Amino acid sequence: MFHVNKAYTVGIADMKICRAPGVLITYALGSCVGICIYDPVLKLAGLIHIMLPNIYKNQNDSNILKYADTGIPEMIRKMEAFGAARRRLTAKIAGGAKMFEVSGGNSSLNNIGARNVESVRQVLRKEHIPILKEDVGSNYARTLSFDASTGDAIVKSFGKGEIKL
Amino acid sequence: MAISKYEDINSFGLDVLKEIGSIGTGNAATALSKVLSKKIEMTLPQVKILDFNKAIYELGGPETIVAGVLVQLYGEINGMMLYLQKLDFINIILESLMGKRIDDYMDLDEIERSALIEVSNIIISSYVNAISSLTGITINLSVPCVCVNMLGGIMNAPIAEYGYETDKLMTIGGAFSCEGKELYSNLILMPEIDSLNFLMEKLGVSCE
Repeated sequence: MFHVNKAYTVGIADMKICRAPGVLITYALGSCVGICIYDPVLKLAGLIHIMLPNIYKNQNDSNILKYADTGIPEMIRKMEAFGAARRRLTAKIAGGAKMFEVSGGNSSLNNIGARNVESVRQVLRKEHIPILKEDVGSNYARTLSFDASTGDAIVKSFGKGEIKL
Repeated sequence: MAISKYEDINSFGLDVLKEIGSIGTGNAATALSKVLSKKIEMTLPQVKILDFNKAIYELGGPETIVAGVLVQLYGEINGMMLYLQKLDFINIILESLMGKRIDDYMDLDEIERSALIEVSNIIISSYVNAISSLTGITINLSVPCVCVNMLGGIMNAPIAEYGYETDKLMTIGGAFSCEGKELYSNLILMPEIDSLNFLMEKLGVSCE
């Protein structure tokens, strides 16, 4: 298992990149999606925690890590700057749940998780990065950790134990 | 004199919000006390403007398991109210209403969940009613829904809802204690920025 002292925490609308033996962790993804991208040769791992699908409403928002369509390319660019090769990169994703079943009100809450996942898939397809494994949807929060030495992602959720991606 | 960011609000505006929180929480505490036939006290309500990650740590940390009841406000004011409670407080509700206790969140069944939603709905409605009659603003409430899970995941709801407008959350609220015991039970109102401006205008307060 992971050693806590080596784990770097990735917050909401945040991104971190590390080399082996580092571990990246992001806590309690609800409708947000965590995207792990890995270069197995360099053992270089990147993890980003996005909260919204596209920036389109907000072109001048400086916080580009909030959105899937601006955050993921930014992480890939940074990883390439560290020497990662595009053709070696693979992705694993988790999150995009629907935490509340809202009826009435004028809410976009009901599908924000699904829209996030959809946008993440689209962006990764456009960047030619295959999604190896995923754990998305349903109605519970997930904590995602990503080990740079192995490329393994572990998803932990309340009452559901741990699964390895 | 509208503001476009929560953090632009001036100290007078904050005081007004604190007062609103105080009236809302006070009414909610009275209602809760009646439902449970127990002495309920409230902490001094606070208005906080925090960025997303900080707000979650402030409320107990992302992986803390809580029961969150969410109601959306719409009409003249848009926003959300969340009532967050931990097992100790859930047990007080279940004991007074149904005469039983649970040892784990997993033991919450359909009836107990619905008791939880009902009590939370009463609390939230009395909070909103108090604001509504104070300001003369019509506020509609959505049907409440509950989620028992990690706090971070629950807080994704307001964060995703307001994420396009802001990098911060404004929380107006307080906590309850029951018969002298400090319990985890947080009632928070999260208004949209436009609604905040409307509310201030209605009260004749310049918040800039």
